[in-house]
Amino acid sequence: MDSLKVQSVDTVNPGYNAAKNANTEIKSEITKFQRLKRDKWLYLLLIPGLAYFIIFKYLPMWGIVIAFQDYSPFLGIFGSKWVGFENFIDFFKNPDFFRLLENTFILACLDLIFFFPAPIILALLLNELRLQAYKSVVQTFIYVPHFMSWVIIASITYIFFTTSGGVVNEIVSLIYGKEINFLSAPEWFRPLIMGQIIWKESGWGTVIFLAALASVDKEQYEAAIVDGAGRMRRMWHVTLPAVRSTIVVLLILRLGNFLDTGFQQIFLMSNSLNRSVADVFDTYVYFVGITQGAYSYSTAVGLFKGIVGVVLVLGANKLAKKMGQDGIF
Amino acid sequence: MKKRMKKRLFGKKVAIPAISAALLFSLAACSDSETSSSKSKDGKDSKNEIRIMTTAYTPDPPSDDSPVLKELEKFTNTNITMNWVLDSAYQDKLNITLASGDLPDVMMIPSKIPSFVSAVRDGAFWDLGPYLKDYPNLSKANEITLQNSAIDGKTYGIYRARPLGRLGVTFRSDWLNNVGLETPKTIDDFYNVLKAFTHDDPDGNGKDDTYGMVVSKYNGPWDIMQIWFGAPNKWGEKNGKLEPDFMSDEYMNALKFFKKLYDEKLINEDFAVMDPQKWGDPLMNSQAGVIVDVLDRGRRADEDFKKSNPELTEPIDILGAVEGPKGLRSLPTAGYSGLLAIPKSSVKTEEELKQVLTFLDKVNEEESQKLAYNGIEGRHYEVQDGKLVLLTNNDQALINEFTDLNQFHMGIPEDRFIKPEMTPVREKEQVILKENEKIVVPNPAESFLSEVYAQKGQQLDNIINDARTKFIVGQIDEAGFKDAIKLWRSTGGDDYIKEINDLYKKNKK
Amino acid sequence: MSMPKMHNTPGGRVFDVFNFILMGLIGIIMICPFLYIIAGSFATEAELTRRSFFIFPETFTLDAYKYIFSTDTFTRSILVSIGVTVVGTLVCLFFTFSMAYPLSRKTLMGRSFFMNLIVFSMLFSGGMIPGYIVVKSLGLLDSYWALILPLAINPFNLIIVKTFFQNIPIELEEAAKIDGCSEVGIFWRIMLPLSKPVLATFALFYAVAIWNDFFSALLYITDSAKWPVQVLLQQIIILSQAQLGDAASAGASFVEPPDQSLKLAVVVVATLPILIVYPFLQKHFAKGMLLGSVKG
Repeated sequence: MDSLKVQSVDTVNPGYNAAKNANTEIKSEITKFQRLKRDKWLYLLLIPGLAYFIIFKYLPMWGIVIAFQDYSPFLGIFGSKWVGFENFIDFFKNPDFFRLLENTFILACLDLIFFFPAPIILALLLNELRLQAYKSVVQTFIYVPHFMSWVIIASITYIFFTTSGGVVNEIVSLIYGKEINFLSAPEWFRPLIMGQIIWKESGWGTVIFLAALASVDKEQYEAAIVDGAGRMRRMWHVTLPAVRSTIVVLLILRLGNFLDTGFQQIFLMSNSLNRSVADVFDTYVYFVGITQGAYSYSTAVGLFKGIVGVVLVLGANKLAKKMGQDGIF
Repeated sequence: MKKRMKKRLFGKKVAIPAISAALLFSLAACSDSETSSSKSKDGKDSKNEIRIMTTAYTPDPPSDDSPVLKELEKFTNTNITMNWVLDSAYQDKLNITLASGDLPDVMMIPSKIPSFVSAVRDGAFWDLGPYLKDYPNLSKANEITLQNSAIDGKTYGIYRARPLGRLGVTFRSDWLNNVGLETPKTIDDFYNVLKAFTHDDPDGNGKDDTYGMVVSKYNGPWDIMQIWFGAPNKWGEKNGKLEPDFMSDEYMNALKFFKKLYDEKLINEDFAVMDPQKWGDPLMNSQAGVIVDVLDRGRRADEDFKKSNPELTEPIDILGAVEGPKGLRSLPTAGYSGLLAIPKSSVKTEEELKQVLTFLDKVNEEESQKLAYNGIEGRHYEVQDGKLVLLTNNDQALINEFTDLNQFHMGIPEDRFIKPEMTPVREKEQVILKENEKIVVPNPAESFLSEVYAQKGQQLDNIINDARTKFIVGQIDEAGFKDAIKLWRSTGGDDYIKEINDLYKKNKK
Repeated sequence: MSMPKMHNTPGGRVFDVFNFILMGLIGIIMICPFLYIIAGSFATEAELTRRSFFIFPETFTLDAYKYIFSTDTFTRSILVSIGVTVVGTLVCLFFTFSMAYPLSRKTLMGRSFFMNLIVFSMLFSGGMIPGYIVVKSLGLLDSYWALILPLAINPFNLIIVKTFFQNIPIELEEAAKIDGCSEVGIFWRIMLPLSKPVLATFALFYAVAIWNDFFSALLYITDSAKWPVQVLLQQIIILSQAQLGDAASAGASFVEPPDQSLKLAVVVVATLPILIVYPFLQKHFAKGMLLGSVKG
């Protein structure tokens, strides 16, 4: 338990953490060297992966310094001008910052509340289907939208929701008496974005939970039945716990890119009339940065989002451990 | 079972470290061979070698053994190595190429993006201005377009020419006949046409199922139409100072006209959200009768209509502009699309530069243009009675031998390839392109490079474009639009105005 | 998994019927747009312009597909995609599982350091240009490996696989040790066979990620003969959107937008091969009972 605690007090500095961690390990009966020797094959297994992370993730990491530069590709990192925190100050001082933060934050929260549980619920319900062939067909159907590009989805959304003859609006006007400007009304923007993302990704999201559910023990079900547990209780007490660790890990990882909203989706769904709620960090970076080739600025915003992510991941991980879960570390 | 497992296990046990070692080794080995190969590339100075980086639009651009490219090499006496980049990633690839330092001899620069500008200012590209006069074709480059494409007043790339007056109106000429109207000449006529197309049953089916004009989420049509009303092109001069177009009264007049169109339901009510990919559909479905866009849309629509509705003889007509309070005016394009720039790191000496320029000059010859646009005579086309006859028969492999080769053609001083047979609309298009050139309204700030705009341009444009849309649909009134202008100014617009005016003053001197 | 036969309460039966209908409805809602894409790819241009949504075309035409397969470009790019995806998936699985296993052993020294390293790399990235320079200096430009190696480990997948390994009871491992298995032996002989559903899942994840990736190819592959099919799809989608810009620069390229039916046919051609993978892998998910039975 002691070592667990130490592990959970993570710092951004991994080296420090490892040293501290190693220190506590020495206390155990065998020495460091013995443990290294004992696990030598495990370390060997680690090598390809570590090589990958060093070469493809950490070697390019020097690119982050351009957040503090006025970077120009031709001049390169050594030739570009250093500007210190100017890009960050620009970002935070931008009169729109709080509106962007608000929009991004609200979308991120809605995403956690509505989109994150959707694949879990869907997987649980799928799991309850008794007809095997039927289940397979439904599974295959719901995973298809994942493969469609946002450009096409946006186009289809327009076809369905437009006030000029869209099917949805025709139904709405039958029931409600008048049409609703789903595509332009700011209050409909967020529901629309959530609806799209749930439609596109929740079926795909079930894949991982179905894999986890595959490990649920038949006998446990039988035991539950003997205990007289109904369907709902079995789902709650047997099925759900089986995927709990997966849920926790996915949740923590999701928090890591909490502020990432689907750029393409939002960009395509935003228009002159709903931009007040559709402007988020990602579209902002696009408008002020990437279209103009301003790498420094977008890197700075990315760094900011990363730091927010670190805080959230570490916080969530700690919380998960406090609640008796494994966390990800 | 267990025995087999053990055997397999043994195999894998050795395999893992072996694979990872081999992998690391091969990675190291690769990087060695790469550096040596790039060195040998640097050592090239055989005379007529040229490496061109430009956009590809087809997924199968001409390879080095394309017969057309071979012909072009023969004609220009040059070994051409193409570096095709699909246009979907062109800007990224361009920046990466700039960053990697391994530049081709000729680089297509799609627009004056900041990374190119900063590379130019750092002396990475040749100033071509002093040399152009020595080449028969390049010397005839259009002065205004050269100026528009210049950076800090100097020519760092040869523009790829495009028609200036390419924007106009596409409309259903059979509908016009049905409602008994003439081709509109003035804005009022234009309004009447829209009104008749909406209310007078232009398709004669007895149903009220048509409307005047279709507009999509794309802002272009508004930009084109407001010029008719006398609004300046982006910047207008007022008391010796430049002012953005939307501060002018003419702009407001245009805006009120647009609002009227919307209120009277002469345009599609969902335009603010309409998917631009669906923009042309209502025209093709005979729901809407007018589209304001590039003129080529009219030609395309004409050909498509004739295919799907052969009974229509003259379904589509086009016009350049209608007359407003300041006469006939048309929004021009920049007159060019992309620059061909020559980096100093790959073309090191003046002598080499002259070789490259000789090549680029030669590319403008008729023979080269024909190769790039039409292909090889006898293989891809024939000329019978002065008319172009295609031999490609939609054989995509044959067409792919030359498509996209025009991506490094400049068309200076003019297009010299063989144009396909003229339909009435095509012929009219050519006439209007010429007419429009006389009435285009230049943007006085076209050649200025603004730092503020490079940073915040899109954001600033959004503020105004959004306000325009909101005004049209009635979400804000004139005061609300003024508020948007205030927001624009405080978001960085004031700095932008100041910067542009400083450049304007400097340029005047 | 297949449910054991069990007695059902009336409430349970109502639930079953309800669930059956609900899932069917959801399935239809989710597959419909794709059916439209398929139908549209067989429809004429006129019909696509006139009818906004349909599942059966009035006039059936193969023109778009004839056009696509009139040259070997698409066939070639699909073969490239398949090859890269198959090899890439194997490489990715090797890298991911071999790293996830040691990290799942709680006694491994330095484990927390490694985990920090991995999580950190998810949250910060050096960006496109340094990534390109690394690939370039490895000599991978214009090589299929450039489409595989930079994606070899998805940290997200790695962490989930690690979690799966962690959930395998320790007793199993200890029993194997007593039998004289080495750590690597345990990995190959016990852990991997036990995690078949997990392997199938992540094979799917990696295959889909590699298949759908077009950006790496756009950046790293200049030889058009080596372009995977997603690059072609991306290009045609971008072309059909070409009108987004300001009027002054509109359509500056002179390139005509592609037909809608052609675009839809390309979508079908670029998507169907990878869609087929899932039903094929599905039966392996069901085999996951193995893991459960060991647990009990």
